[in-house]
Amino acid sequence: MKKTMRAMSLLLLCGMLLLAACGKSNNGNSSGNEGSGAENAANNGGTQAEAKIEEITVAFPVITASTQELQLVEDEINKITEEKIQTHVKFLPINAGEWAQRMNLIFSGGEKLDLTYVAGQMYSNMVAKGQLIALDEQLAANGEGIKSALEEKYLNATKIGGQIYSVPTVRDLAASYGLTMRKDLVEKYNIDITAIKTLDDVENVLKTIKEKEPNVVPLIPGGPGQSFRENYLWYDPLGDTMGVLPNYDNGLKVVNLYETPEYKAFLDQIRNWYKSGYILTDAATNKTTTYELIKSGKAFAYLAMQKPGFAAQETKMSGTEMVTAELLAPMATTSNVTSASWGIPVHAEHPEHAMKFLNLMYSDPAIVNLFDWGIEGKHYVKAESEGDNVIAYPEGKDAATVGYNMLSWVFGNNFLAYVMESDDPQIWEKTAEFNKSAKPSKALGFVFDASAVKTEFAAVSNVVTQYKLPLETGSVDPEKLLPEFIEKLKSAGIDKIIAEKQKQLDEWAKANSVN
Amino acid sequence: MANTTAQRKRRFSLRRYIPLYIMMLPGLAYLIINNYLPLFGLSIAFKDINYAKGIWNSDWVGFKNFEYLFKTTDAYIITRNTLLYNAVFIVLGLAIAIVIAILLNEIRSRVARSFYQSVILLPFLISMILVSYLVYALLSVDSGFMNKTILPMLGLDPVTWYLEPKYWPYILTIVHIWKGAGYSCIVFLAAIISIDKEYYEAAELDGASKWMQIRKITLPMITPIISMLALLAIGRIFYSDFGLFYQVPMNSGALYETTNVIDTYVFRGLMQLGDVGMSSAAGFYQSLVGFVLVLVSNYIVRKFDKDNALF
Repeated sequence: MKKTMRAMSLLLLCGMLLLAACGKSNNGNSSGNEGSGAENAANNGGTQAEAKIEEITVAFPVITASTQELQLVEDEINKITEEKIQTHVKFLPINAGEWAQRMNLIFSGGEKLDLTYVAGQMYSNMVAKGQLIALDEQLAANGEGIKSALEEKYLNATKIGGQIYSVPTVRDLAASYGLTMRKDLVEKYNIDITAIKTLDDVENVLKTIKEKEPNVVPLIPGGPGQSFRENYLWYDPLGDTMGVLPNYDNGLKVVNLYETPEYKAFLDQIRNWYKSGYILTDAATNKTTTYELIKSGKAFAYLAMQKPGFAAQETKMSGTEMVTAELLAPMATTSNVTSASWGIPVHAEHPEHAMKFLNLMYSDPAIVNLFDWGIEGKHYVKAESEGDNVIAYPEGKDAATVGYNMLSWVFGNNFLAYVMESDDPQIWEKTAEFNKSAKPSKALGFVFDASAVKTEFAAVSNVVTQYKLPLETGSVDPEKLLPEFIEKLKSAGIDKIIAEKQKQLDEWAKANSVN
Repeated sequence: MANTTAQRKRRFSLRRYIPLYIMMLPGLAYLIINNYLPLFGLSIAFKDINYAKGIWNSDWVGFKNFEYLFKTTDAYIITRNTLLYNAVFIVLGLAIAIVIAILLNEIRSRVARSFYQSVILLPFLISMILVSYLVYALLSVDSGFMNKTILPMLGLDPVTWYLEPKYWPYILTIVHIWKGAGYSCIVFLAAIISIDKEYYEAAELDGASKWMQIRKITLPMITPIISMLALLAIGRIFYSDFGLFYQVPMNSGALYETTNVIDTYVFRGLMQLGDVGMSSAAGFYQSLVGFVLVLVSNYIVRKFDKDNALF
C-alpha cells in the first residue's frame, strides 16, 4: 500500500515538474529567439546589391497585419523609390503590441534594419544605449523635405546632447486640455460653452447637470485608469511627472508636483465635486471606457487632452454628439513632440538611402498616401465632389472590410495625407495652425535619462500608482492621505530623482543656451 | 568464476537497459535545454543590461538590481503580505480540499459524485480576469449585489469595497479557495479512492464510526500526498498569484496595504522602466527563498517521518 502511494506521489511529482517545465519554456524561448535573430542577421548580411539600387529595411508598427495587402503597397512604393532615389524598400511591419520586445531583439541580434519608427517612451533610452545615430549631417545633406515640413522648434525638440537623433512625424505636436460634453444636454440647458474657462466654470456646469438630470453622472474620467489630473496638465511633466515645471516654465526649477499648493487646491476641488456627487462613484476603479459610459447615456462630460478635430473624433467614437471647451491653451512639451518619430539604427547599412527615403515620407504625397490609405481604386477612391484631398472607401466597403488599415500618424508628414470624407477636410490646416500657435514649454527639448536613479524610480512608481487614482478622482480625503502620500514619496527617494533631473536640466539649459 | 558470471550479468543487464536510456534522451535533452541552460540567465540579475553590448558584455553591478526590493517601507508590507497570504492559502486550501475530497468520496451515486466534482472544479478553469469581474459584480459600489441586495437586507450601509483595505484579506482568501479547492481536491480524491476497501470493512466490523474511519484510516493513508503538496506549495511561498492580487482588487491603489505582494510590486515598479536586470533580480530572490524553504521544510518533515519527505 505504502508502495503504491509512493509510486503515485512520484508520478504526481513528475507531472508537476513537467508542468513547471512548460511554464519555464516561455522564458527559454526569448533567449532562443535572440540566437535565431543573430542567425538571421548573418544571413541577411550578404544581401545582393544591384548595380545602383540599394535595399533598405524599414520597420514600423501595424495593428492589423494583412501581409498580402501590405506587399501590394510595398511594390507600389518601390516603383517610386527605385526611380527617384535608387532605393529598394523592404517593409518590416511589427505588431504594435510587441514593438518594444521586437526592437530589443533586433538591436541585440544586429538584425538588418536601416530606418525605424521610434516609440516616444523608448527614445531617450535608445539614445542612451547608443542604438540610434545622430542625424544632423544626413539632414543637412538629404533632408530638405523634412526641414521644410517641420517647424524648427519641433525638430530641435528631439535634440539630445545637442544632436538630433530622430525626426518627429508631422501631426498634432502640442496638446491642450479641456472639457468634452454631450451636445444634447448642453443645448437643453443653454450652457454657454465659450464661457467655460476655468475649473470653477466647470463646477457650475456640473452643478446644473446634477440638479436637473439626477440620473446622469456629470463627470467621468477620461479613460479607465486615468485620473482627472492626468487630463488637466498645468505643468510640464518632464516625461514622468516625478519632478515637474509648473506653468511650463518656473524658471527651469524642478519641483515636486505633489507638494505644490496648486496640487493641493486641485485635490480639494475634485474632492468637493466627489462629495457633491458630481463624479462617478467608482472613478478610481472604473474599467468601462469613456465612450461606453457616454453612449449608454449615463454620463455627461469628461476632461481630456485635446487637438483640432477632437470633438468630431469623440463624436464618432461614442456615437453621441459631443462639444468641447478649452481650459488650458495648447502647449508643446518634449513628450508631445517625441511621442512618434523616426530614426536610423546604429547598424544601418545604408544610412544615406534611409534618409533619402525618410525625406520622401515628409515631402512626397504619393508615398504618404500609399502608407496611410493603400492603393487608389482598391483601398480608397477619390471623392472629388467634397474637395481635392477628400477620399472615401470603395463602394460597399468600410474601414472594417477594406483590408488595409494603418496607424496613419506613424508615417512621416500627415499633412500630405488625404482626409476621409467623414472627417473635417480642413483638419490639416487647423492642425498646422494649432502647432504654430502652441506655446513651447521652457523645457521643450529636454529629455530625462533615469538610469542613474533606477532604484528610486521603481520605488516612486509604486507609491504613485498607489495614491494617484484614489486622490486624483476625489475618492478619498486629501487632508488625511496627501501628507501620507508625500511622506512615502520622500522615503522612496523622489528628492533624489528631482535632484538628478535638475542637474540634467541645468546641463541641458547650458548646452542649448536656454535661460 | 563466480566473479566473471557477475560481470557478465552486469554487462548483460546494462545492455538490457539501453533502449530505456535511449528513450530517456529526448526528455533529458528537453530538461537540459529548457530548465538548465536558461540558468545562465541568472547572471542578468547582477548586470546592467545594455543591448548594444549584449548580455555577456554588459557591466556587472553587484547587488544594485536588488536594492529596490528592500529599500522602502513597502518592502516590509509586500514581504508580509506575500508570506501570510500564502501561508493561509496553503493551510486553508489543503484543509478544505481534503474535507471536500472526503465528502465527495462518501457520495455513493457515481453520477452525482462526478457532477459535484465538476461543479467544484469549474472555478479553477475560469480566467482570473473573468473572476475579477464576477467579484466586481458582487462588490461594485453602485450596482454590486452586496451593496444593492445583501447589505440593505441586513439593514447595513453600503460599503465602498474597492477603497477599504480591511476587507480584502478575507475577500482574497475566499476567492482563492473558491477557485483552487476543486483542483487539489481531485488529487486527494484519487488518493482516497485508491485506499484498499478492506481496511474500512475491517473497521466497520470492529464497530468504528465514520468519524473514526476518517481519522484512523483515510487521513493517515493520504498523509504522503498531503505533505508532498504542502512541500511543493511551500517552495512557491514567495511567488504570488499575480492575477489574484492584481486583477481581482481592480489594481485599486487604496487597497495596496493589504493587496500588494512581491509580484505586483515588481510589475508596477518596472512598468515604466522596463529594466530586465531588475525584474530578473526579483525572480532570482523569489526562487532562492523558495529553494531554501523547501530544503528546510523537507528537513523538518524527514525528522518526523522519513517516508513522507520529498527527498
